[in-house]
Amino acid sequence: MLNIEGLLVHFPYDYIYPEQYSYMLELKRTLDAKGHGVLEMPSGTGKTISLLSLIVAYQKVFPLEVSKLIYCSRTVPEIEKVVEELRKLMEYYSKQTGESNNFLALALSSRKNLCIHPEVSSLRVGKEVDGKCHTLTASYIRAQRHSDPDLPVCRFYEDFDAVGRQMPLPAGVYNLDDLKDFGKRNGWCPYYLARYSLMHANIVVYSYHYLLDPKIADLVSKELTKKSVVVFDEAHNIDNVCIDSMSVNISRRTLDRCQTNVETLQNTIQKIKETDATKLKMEYRRLVEGLKEANVARETDVYLSNPVLPDEILQEAVPGTIRTAEHFVGFLKRFLEYLKSRLRVHHVVQESTPQFLKDIFDKVCIDRKPLRFCAERLRSLLRTLEIADIADFSAVTLISNFATLVSTYSQGFTIIIEPFEDRTPTIANPVLHFSCMDPSIAIKPVFQRFQSVIITSGTLSPLDIYPRILDFRPVTMASFTMTLARTCLCPLIVGRGNDQVALSSKFETREDFAVIRNYGSLLQEMSAIVPDGIVAFFTSYMYMENIVAAWYEQGILENIQRNKLIFIETPDAAETSMALEKYQEACENGRGAILLSVARGKVSEGIDFVHHFGRAVIMFGVPYVYTQSRILKARLEYLRDQFQIRENDFLTFDAMRHAAQCVGRVIRGKTDYGLMIFADKRYARADKRGKLPRWIQEHISDGSLNLTVDEAVQLSKHFLRQMAQPFRQEDQLGLSLLTLEQLESEEMLKKISQIAHQT
Amino acid sequence: MRYLAEGHMPFNQDGVLKSAELVRAFLVMFLEVLLVVKKVRQRKQDGTLYLMAERIAWGPEGKDRFTVSHLYADTRCQKISPDGKAKIQLQLVLHTGESTTFHFSNDSSALKDRDAAKELLQQLLPKFKKKANKELEEKNRMLQEDPVLFQLYKDLVVSQVISADEFWANRLGDTNHADPSLSNNKQEVGISGAFLADIRPQTDGCNGLRYNLTADIIESIFRTYPTVKEKYCENVPHNLTEKEFWTRFFQSHYFHRDRINTGTQDIFSECAKQDEQGLKSMVVQGVKNPLVDLLSLEDKTLDEGYGVCTTLPSTSNSNRSVKESSNSAIIKRFNHHSAMVLAAGSRKGETPANQASETSNTDGNSRDSVFFQPPVKKVKLKEAIEYEDLQRENRPKTVALNLKKSDRYAHGPVPLQSQQYTTSQDIINSVNYIQHEMVNYKPNLTQVLSSTTASSAIAALSSGGVLMQAATQQAINQMVPSEVQGELKHLYAAAGELLRHFWSCFPVNTPFMEEKVTKMKSNLERFQMTKLCPFQEKIQRQYLSTNLTGHLEEMLQTAYSKFHIWQTRRMLRKT
Repeated sequence: MLNIEGLLVHFPYDYIYPEQYSYMLELKRTLDAKGHGVLEMPSGTGKTISLLSLIVAYQKVFPLEVSKLIYCSRTVPEIEKVVEELRKLMEYYSKQTGESNNFLALALSSRKNLCIHPEVSSLRVGKEVDGKCHTLTASYIRAQRHSDPDLPVCRFYEDFDAVGRQMPLPAGVYNLDDLKDFGKRNGWCPYYLARYSLMHANIVVYSYHYLLDPKIADLVSKELTKKSVVVFDEAHNIDNVCIDSMSVNISRRTLDRCQTNVETLQNTIQKIKETDATKLKMEYRRLVEGLKEANVARETDVYLSNPVLPDEILQEAVPGTIRTAEHFVGFLKRFLEYLKSRLRVHHVVQESTPQFLKDIFDKVCIDRKPLRFCAERLRSLLRTLEIADIADFSAVTLISNFATLVSTYSQGFTIIIEPFEDRTPTIANPVLHFSCMDPSIAIKPVFQRFQSVIITSGTLSPLDIYPRILDFRPVTMASFTMTLARTCLCPLIVGRGNDQVALSSKFETREDFAVIRNYGSLLQEMSAIVPDGIVAFFTSYMYMENIVAAWYEQGILENIQRNKLIFIETPDAAETSMALEKYQEACENGRGAILLSVARGKVSEGIDFVHHFGRAVIMFGVPYVYTQSRILKARLEYLRDQFQIRENDFLTFDAMRHAAQCVGRVIRGKTDYGLMIFADKRYARADKRGKLPRWIQEHISDGSLNLTVDEAVQLSKHFLRQMAQPFRQEDQLGLSLLTLEQLESEEMLKKISQIAHQT
Repeated sequence: MRYLAEGHMPFNQDGVLKSAELVRAFLVMFLEVLLVVKKVRQRKQDGTLYLMAERIAWGPEGKDRFTVSHLYADTRCQKISPDGKAKIQLQLVLHTGESTTFHFSNDSSALKDRDAAKELLQQLLPKFKKKANKELEEKNRMLQEDPVLFQLYKDLVVSQVISADEFWANRLGDTNHADPSLSNNKQEVGISGAFLADIRPQTDGCNGLRYNLTADIIESIFRTYPTVKEKYCENVPHNLTEKEFWTRFFQSHYFHRDRINTGTQDIFSECAKQDEQGLKSMVVQGVKNPLVDLLSLEDKTLDEGYGVCTTLPSTSNSNRSVKESSNSAIIKRFNHHSAMVLAAGSRKGETPANQASETSNTDGNSRDSVFFQPPVKKVKLKEAIEYEDLQRENRPKTVALNLKKSDRYAHGPVPLQSQQYTTSQDIINSVNYIQHEMVNYKPNLTQVLSSTTASSAIAALSSGGVLMQAATQQAINQMVPSEVQGELKHLYAAAGELLRHFWSCFPVNTPFMEEKVTKMKSNLERFQMTKLCPFQEKIQRQYLSTNLTGHLEEMLQTAYSKFHIWQTRRMLRKT
C-alpha cells in the first residue's frame, strides 16, 4: 500500500523501484489535471504494473472521475502480458482487501485470435477468418435463414445473440484464452461477447488500431465513454500507425479488381430490381433522411468522432446525384475510369488534394460533394444488396474510402503517382499513393474525446517532438532513468576498425570492402567473447543481404560459426519465427548463437531478448529511413512547413528512435545485463547521441565514443567479467530497490524527486 | 580370410610352396589376415604388407618375420600420396608422432593395391580409434576422480618406477566390468557449427583445388545432412567411387551456398530439394513459443492497399537480379545449416518427447493445438511478467553446508546401505525439537550418582586414569609434522601397490610370470632407492624417530627374501 500524494495505491510487490514511484507520481498529476501526458521509462522497470496499479487505484477512489481504462498496446503477446499483470494486481487486491473483485477487465483482439468456431478458426489468416465469419453472421444472412433453414450457421453467434446480451460478463480478468474458455463453456461467441462487454468493462486492453484506424474505431470504439483514460504503450512509433491508417495505395491490380466489383454490383442491382424493388426504395428514403442519427449522436457526445466523416457531412443528406443505386454505380464507374487514366502516366506526378479535385472536375465533371459521401454511400449499398462476402469487395471499398478522404482533407495529404519502381525503371507498375503526412489527423479525435491520454514507452526521446507531430498539449512530460545498483548496460560506440578505417553505413562507404570487413571482424571478435546470444541489427534488409554475401565470400561467417551458430532474419515471417525459435534453443542449450536482423523489422519491434537470449546487441550503422522515397520527401516538407521541424532533425530523430529500440531489446530488467555496441562513427556526434533515451545516454562515457574494434573487445571483456559476478537482492536494496519503509523516509523521497527532475 | 581365398595365398609362380612361405602362410591364417599386398617397399627394401584384424605388419622379402608391426589402436591416421605422383605411397602416422611409409611398387597394380589397403584401413582405423579414445578417457576419469590413485600414478609412473602399461594392467580390467551404467550414459558429442569451414580448399598449384576430408568431417556431414548420407549409401560404391562422390559434392551448388540450383543431373539437386522441403515443413509446423511467433504478433493488420508503402520488395522472382537471389539463398541456407546442426546435436536424446509433442501439434488443426498451446503460452507469459527482484525471496529455509575440506566431502567414505534421505526441513525440525527439549530439560536430582562414584568415574576417564591408559602413549600424529605424515602415507600406498603387483606373481608358473616377478623385484628395489631412502634421510635430518619406515622396510625385506627363495629354488631346478 503506497501513498502517492494522498492516493492509496495497492502495489502487488514487496519492493518497488524508485522510478516506479516517480512514474506513478507524474501519472497521478496527469489524471488530476484531466490532461494528456508523455512519459518515458526504460523497459524492464515495471512500467506496466505501475500504470495499472495507479490507474486502478484512481478508478476505485474516484469512480466518477475515471470510469474506464483503455490500454492500447502493439502486439498480441504484449496485450496478453498486460492482462496477466492486471490479473496479478487484481488477485493482490482481493487478498489485501478481502473483498471479491468487482472489476471487469478484458482483452480484445481480432476474430483470428478469438474465434472458437471449429471451421472458421482453422483458417488462421486474419482476413479469411473475418470474411468467413461475416458470411455466417451478417444480419441479412440470418434473416434469409428464416426462409431457408439449410443455410450454414454459427451456433456460437446465435446463442450469444439469443441470450448473451441479457447477462453481463461476470466481473473478473479475461485474457484472450479466458474469453475463449468462457465462450466455449456457454456456447457464446467470444469475439462478439468481448465487443459487447467493451461498453461496460472497467479496463479494456486492445491494440492501437481499434482506436486509431477510423475504419475499425468506428465499429468498435465509437461509444466508449468520455471519462476514460487512454494509454498508448510502446508508443514510440505512434505517428507511423496514425499515418498508415489514413493512407491508401492504388495499383492497377486494385483497379482491375474494382472493375469486377462494380460489375457485380451492377448485376446484383439489376437482379434485385426485378425481384425486390422495394428494398432499393427503402434505401433511397433512408438516404434522404440523411445521416441525422449520427449527427444527433455526435452532438450528444455519445460517439467518438470519425475523422473520415467530418462534422459538416453529418448535417447534410447524401447528394441527389448518387442517391439511387444505379446512379451511384455509374458514378463509381466514372471515377474508376478517371483513376485508370491517371495511372497511364510515364513520369512521376505529385500533386496536392485540391489540385487533384480540380483535375477530376475538369476531366470527368465529378464534384467534391458526392465524392465525400462515397464511403458512406457504398456501405449503405452493400448492406442493401445483402452482399455476404464483404472481403471480395475490398477493392471497391478502398476506392470509395480514398474518394472520401481525398475530398475531405485539403491539407496533410499528398498524391504521388509513380509509373514504375525506382529500382526497375523498365517494368511498368503504376501506383497511386495517397499518403497522409500528418499523424495528428488520425489521433485528433482521441485527444479530443478522452479526458486523459498517456503516451508512454521505453524510448520516447526527445520527448518534445511527440506533442509537436501529434499536435496536442500535454500537462506532463517526463523521462525517467533506470536507477542501477550496478551498471548493467554498457553502451560502446565503435567508430574505427583496427586498421583505423572509419566505420559507417553511410551511403558513400556502403559498398566499401574495408568497412564490411571491419564490421565482420567486430562480429567475429564479439562472438568469441560474449556468452550465449548476440543480436546484430542492420540498417535495411538489402544492406544485410549484401554484407552477409560479402562475409560469406571472405570466409568471415565460417569463422564466426566456429564460435556460434548463425541465424538470419528473412522477409518471410514464418521462416524468421522458426529461426528465432532455433536461436533461442541454441542459447538455451549453451551452444550460443547470433541473430542477424534488421532495424524497423518485425524482430526489432516485437521480440525481447531477455537475459542469456541477448548478452550483446550490435547496431551496424545508423538506421536512417530510405530517404529517396518521394512519400518521405513530401512528409519532410510538410513537417518543415507546418511544424517547423527541420528535415535533418526529423530523420535523425527517426533513426535514433529505431536504434534505441534495437539496442533496448537486450536490457529487460535490472537483473539483466548486456552490451550495446553502436558500430558507426556518426553515433559519437552530439546531435545523434543526444537523441538517445536518457537511460542509455548517461552511461556513454567520453572515453567510449570512438573506439576501435580491439578497444571495444577489451572493454566488453571487462564488463562481462564484472557482470558475471553474483548479483543479489541485498546489493540493490536501498539503491535501486526500496522497501516500503525506505520509501516513506523523508530523505529517500527527496532523493527520488531529485533524480526524477534532472531533466 | 576373404582375401586369401581370392588368390593372395603366398604360392609362388610355379605353384610350389617354399618352406619359409609356408610358415608365413600359417602365421597369416593364424593371425586372421585380412589383406596381403606384395611388392611393397619400406625403407628401400622389398617386402609384403599384411593387414590383420588388429594390426598392420610388414615383412621383408624372404624372411619369415615382421620388421614393422603397428596396432591400429596406436595409429592416428593414414595419409596417401596425391594422384599423379610417380611414387604411390601410403603413410601411417602413429600417436607417438612416428610415421611409417609404404611404397607400392608393383608396376601393374600399385594404385589398385594402395587403394585396397587404404579402403580397408579406412574401415578399420575408426573402430580402434574410438576404443583408444575411450580407454584414454576412462583412465583420465579414474585419475581425476580418485586422488589416491592419482598420487600413486605420480609416484610410480611419472617417476618411472613402473611403466604406465603395468600400472593399468590390472586396474582397467575390473573397472570395465564394475559399472557399465557409467560408461553407457555418456553424452552424445555435438557437431561443430563450422565443420564445413574446416575443409579449407587448398590450391595444388596446377589449377585445381584440394579438399582435406577426415572421418570426423564426413561423420559431421552425414549427421547434419542425412540426405547426403542417403545419397552416399545409394551411390557408393555401386555408381561412384568414394572419391568421385566427394568431388561431386564439393562441386555441387549444395556445398557452395551462394550458387543457385540449376542443373538437374547433379545428384545433390535432390538433396537440396529435400532440404527445402524439410525447411518448409519446419516453417509450416510453426513455432511452439507464442512469444516469438511473428505471424501472430500483429493483431490487426492493415488491409491490402492501406498504409504507407515503403518501397515494398517486389515479390516476383523475375524482378530480382541473380545476385540478389543468390544472396537470399545464402541466408536461407545459413538458417538451414544452423537448424540442422542444432538438430543433429539434440536428435538422439529428445526424439521420443519431441515426437509426442509434434504429433499433437501437427495433426490437429485447431482443436489439438488449443489443447496443446495454453501451458506453453501460460508459462512463457508468466516468465515474461516476472520481476524476480521486486519479490521478497521466499525460498524454503535451508541449512548451509560448511565444508572445511571439500575433497574429503567429495571422496569420503559412503555408507553402503541406502540411507533414509533427510531434507533440510527435517534437519531444521529436529534441531528445533532438540532445542525445545533442552529448554524443557529439568535435572532429575533424586536419581543422580553419588559424589564418590562420580569422582572416581571422572578420575578413570581423565588422562592417566584406568580407562585412559592407551592415551599416554603419544599418538604418532602428534609427534610428526603433517607433511611428513602425508608423505609417509603416499609411500605406504605406493609400496602397497608395488607389493601387490609383486605378490600377485606367485605362484610363478609361467615364463611370463617369471619375467614379471623379476621385473617387480627390480621395481621394488628401485622404489627403495629412489623413494624410501631419500625419505629416511629426510627424517634423520629432522631428528625424528627413525622407526617410522621400519614397517615399510620390513615388508620390502619379506618380499626380497621371498624372491630370493624362489630364485634359489629355480636355480636348483635348472641345474
